[in-house]
Amino acid sequence: MKEKIAKLIEQAKLAVEQSHTLAFINNVKVKFLGKNGELTQLLRGMKDVPQEERPMVGKYVNEARDLITELTEEKTRQLAQAEIDEKMMKESVDITLDGKNTERGSLHPCTLVANEIVDIFTSLGFTLGEGPEIELDKFCFQMLNIPPDHPARDMQDTFYITDDILLRTHTSSVQARTMINTKPPIRIICPGKVYRPDDDATHSPMFQQIEGLVVDEKVTLCDLKGLLETFAQRLFDSSTKVRFRPSFFPFTEPSVEVDLSCSVCHGKGCRICKGTGWIEILGAGVVNPKVLDNCGIDSKKYKGLAFGLGVERVAMIKYGIPDMRILFENDVRFLKDFK
Amino acid sequence: MKVSLSWLKDFVDIDVTVEELADKLVGAGFEVEEIIKSGANMKNVVLGKIVKLEKHPDADKLQICQIDVGKDDLIQIVTGAQNVSEGDLVPTALHNSLLPNGQTIKRGKLRGVASDGMLCSGEELKLSEEDYKGASVYGIMLMNGEKYPLGTDLNDVFGNDDVILDIGVTANRSDCNSVLGIAREVATVLKKPLKMPEIGFKTDKNVKIGDIVDVEVKAPDLCPRYMAAAVTDIKIEKSAEIIQKRLKSVGLRPINNIVDITNYIRVEIGQPMHAFDKNYLEGEKIITRRAENGEKIVALDEKEYTLDNSMLVICDEKKPCAVGGIMGGLNSGINDNTKTIVFESAKFMRDNIRRTSRTLNLRSDSSYRYERGIDFDSQRLGLMRALTLIDKYGYGKIADGVIDRLAQDITTKIVETSVEEINSILGIDVPSDVILSILNGLQIESTLENGVLKCVCPAFRDDIENANDLAEEVIRLYGYDKIVGTLLVGGNQTLGGKNRKQQNADIVKEICVSQGMSETLTYSFTSPKCFDVLKLAENDERRNCIKLLKPLGEDLSIMRTTLAYSMISMLASNNLKSNKKVKLFELANVYIPKSLPFNELPNEHSMLAMGSYGDGEDFFTMKGNVEVLLRRFGIVAEYKRSDINYLHKGRSADIFVGKEYLGYLGEVHPEVANSFDVSDRMYIAEINIEVLNKLADYSYKFMPISSYPPIERDIAIVVDEDVLAGNLLACVKKGGGNLLVDTKIFDIYRNESVLGKNKKSVAINLVFRLADRTLTDDEVNAKVNRILTKLSSEFNAVQR
Repeated sequence: MKEKIAKLIEQAKLAVEQSHTLAFINNVKVKFLGKNGELTQLLRGMKDVPQEERPMVGKYVNEARDLITELTEEKTRQLAQAEIDEKMMKESVDITLDGKNTERGSLHPCTLVANEIVDIFTSLGFTLGEGPEIELDKFCFQMLNIPPDHPARDMQDTFYITDDILLRTHTSSVQARTMINTKPPIRIICPGKVYRPDDDATHSPMFQQIEGLVVDEKVTLCDLKGLLETFAQRLFDSSTKVRFRPSFFPFTEPSVEVDLSCSVCHGKGCRICKGTGWIEILGAGVVNPKVLDNCGIDSKKYKGLAFGLGVERVAMIKYGIPDMRILFENDVRFLKDFK
Repeated sequence: MKVSLSWLKDFVDIDVTVEELADKLVGAGFEVEEIIKSGANMKNVVLGKIVKLEKHPDADKLQICQIDVGKDDLIQIVTGAQNVSEGDLVPTALHNSLLPNGQTIKRGKLRGVASDGMLCSGEELKLSEEDYKGASVYGIMLMNGEKYPLGTDLNDVFGNDDVILDIGVTANRSDCNSVLGIAREVATVLKKPLKMPEIGFKTDKNVKIGDIVDVEVKAPDLCPRYMAAAVTDIKIEKSAEIIQKRLKSVGLRPINNIVDITNYIRVEIGQPMHAFDKNYLEGEKIITRRAENGEKIVALDEKEYTLDNSMLVICDEKKPCAVGGIMGGLNSGINDNTKTIVFESAKFMRDNIRRTSRTLNLRSDSSYRYERGIDFDSQRLGLMRALTLIDKYGYGKIADGVIDRLAQDITTKIVETSVEEINSILGIDVPSDVILSILNGLQIESTLENGVLKCVCPAFRDDIENANDLAEEVIRLYGYDKIVGTLLVGGNQTLGGKNRKQQNADIVKEICVSQGMSETLTYSFTSPKCFDVLKLAENDERRNCIKLLKPLGEDLSIMRTTLAYSMISMLASNNLKSNKKVKLFELANVYIPKSLPFNELPNEHSMLAMGSYGDGEDFFTMKGNVEVLLRRFGIVAEYKRSDINYLHKGRSADIFVGKEYLGYLGEVHPEVANSFDVSDRMYIAEINIEVLNKLADYSYKFMPISSYPPIERDIAIVVDEDVLAGNLLACVKKGGGNLLVDTKIFDIYRNESVLGKNKKSVAINLVFRLADRTLTDDEVNAKVNRILTKLSSEFNAVQR
């Protein structure tokens, strides 16, 4: 009996090994373990086994059943796995083909730059200031210490609509509007369109500026430099340096032109910085106390800092765009480069 | 402002290179825009002498010259010129030389004979007869009689030894629009003393100024000071060489000795002057007064100008002789027969000069200078200096005395502040002795007593009014590199960020980008023709637009009232560039006047324009863009057929929320597309963002999800072709009541033989559900029947 069982196990092992499909292994299972299978047949022969050997033989039979069951189940698992693998392989796709519904548009390079700058300053406690593009002479010039017929008006040619209504020439007009309506401390950053009658490779009759204004009790020219350093290092890179050069704007005193070390050559001199290592990017200064007083802010108590920059110019430098007119052509092949 | 180095050296010792000087000026706030070295365009051209001349063996018209250029060896040059002979002094361009006309000369051979350079004509040296006598002759310019040694660089012979600095003077520094003013700054940055211009002349005691002229100022508000002097026995001639040379160096054309002096003084001292021919003045007096309205004058430019009473004229007792500070009258000018002149040295008000100059569209060097502002001191200095030059060069006899009509007392401006105040502006501690030394160096007399910094400002610094002005003077000379960045160390904390409306603008842009659109940037001004291109009705209110007074051109002359035209233009320009599929958007303002004629600020509405064309784009993709946008802001809109003229009649919709008009979308009218030369179908939408902001629903509310199963039914109905799906669904929803949680159209079928003419079959999916229990079939059937009844009565719908 024992020999028969051992032989049966050998047969089962062989049968399992030779099974290559799920149907085949099923048959093997039925053949050995089924109701009329070999093992059952063997058990039927138990009656011929002497009484005292029956427990021992019963143990062998059970062990054989367990073993064959394990073998067939393991093989079934393997074959099922192989079958599903094969099915998936048949469904395989070319994973290098393009994805679907991936169409994504783009923000204009000027918007990208403006967003970046606005984000830097809002994180420094600035709110977004706004004002109209069609503006009163009062807010664009007079309150900013540029009286009618002052030579400083020559600094900015102006599109007039009536004698005292014009297209704002700078976002500084938002300064005046904000100061009239807001109590210090004031920190605003004001992006917006401005207009001047110029049209060439580096000037557009419409362009965008970003104006910043701080009015507080104790602010200094050093704070202005610190603010602009923080801004420049976030916008370009952490090694960017800031240089002040004396200048004149009617609404700030002292006034400075602000140069940043060239982000392309890091000060060595290149085409972008015209070999100087510096790029002129901002005008800034301490708000002229006359402007504070004009706007109803006590210049004895408060001081102001202001700065302004041209968005197009920064975008041209940051992205290496050679001609401002490209920014207004709106060729989708150009626009799509700025995802 | 152009100044020559040699002229500056009259007033200050300059012992640094011009580059160093330029750097220092930039550091002090004076942009040096250009350094022009005169003679830089001519190199290696020297004075030579022809010592031997012989015929070229192989060319009749060429001569071989042996030239002495002061070296041991002669050089050989072949020339084609015939006007030279042995012994002549000639301009000799050596091997590797540069000529002012841009030509470079190299050694070469002419018909087999070596030539080591070239002899030059006056033309090649860009010289006129005025510049050098004999320069205009045909052939080589002969320089016989020159005393310079042979081999001398011609730049030295011609006096091309000067350097011109082109300096940008900011609008606050009117005092620096003169050589003397720049010299004052140079003296400051170089820490050298300033030498004032030399003054001193003798007068003709027999002739009193009063015998020649008197002055009456009738408009002291426009002419606060008027000084005059007279010169008799004038001989009009060319100016002294140095005056001519200096005027030329700053780009002025020498005219005659008297006119040149007025120009010289304007450049040197910064005081515009005028010289009247006494012979031309009628009566005894020069009168300055406001012009009469309609009064006319013919100016030196030979044009007639009509004046008004805001303008200042300088008159004799009969007629106007000059537009004050701007231009003299044609007949009062100096001419070759002028014998007696009256010099005018006056202060006119800068804003008035500026206004008059712009009104008349008449500009001159004088008006430019006056517009920048003149202080009260320079009238006397300018006049004295002019008389000094007259006397020095013997141009005439100076009448005894000057006339000085001064309308107001000249007061000295004093600014009082403190060292602490100046440092609180700068944020650094500049020592008080440094502050005092800088200010005093600028001729701002400053003292520190009991903590009070008292600064007495000289007349030429009328820009200085307060502590900030003084702080600027201190730091520009102390050095901006001393300013060290701090981050609002003394500031109060503030809360930054964007408000809801500003955030919405960002969201709108991001949605457009994620829908595949690229952002455009177009001008806010546009062409008035755009309304006709868009086929807007004559009474369409968008034709009411704001016009610029002086636009850059007709095409940029009005402020846009719609973004449609720009959007279609940009689609068209992309189409023209063969860009196959294009989706664009722009978020920008339109400008709607509140009233016309325009007299108050307009409404500026933020609008979103979207546009597309190309494969896969249609009315519904554009509608999808609109729906995604509105869904983000919780807005449910109704779409009604639109009658906008530039849109396709059958494929356009107005977007409403209740009675509120939000915008429109649709296919661009084929004729409009045609006028842009586009044959592709284009789709646009324009959404009023102000209305969107107003309607936006930001409330999010939790709704429990029903755990009971839904019951779905599909119905198919036949209706007339012109029944709108939106109306059908609205009717279905009404019939379905609360039980109907969702419904949508999933198929539309047309077949004339099955359904009949102008009929369509619409298949509608209905989803019913209750939150608290399972619905029964009977309940659902009742609702479906109710829906079908309603559809039947409202639209004649027949169930299929």
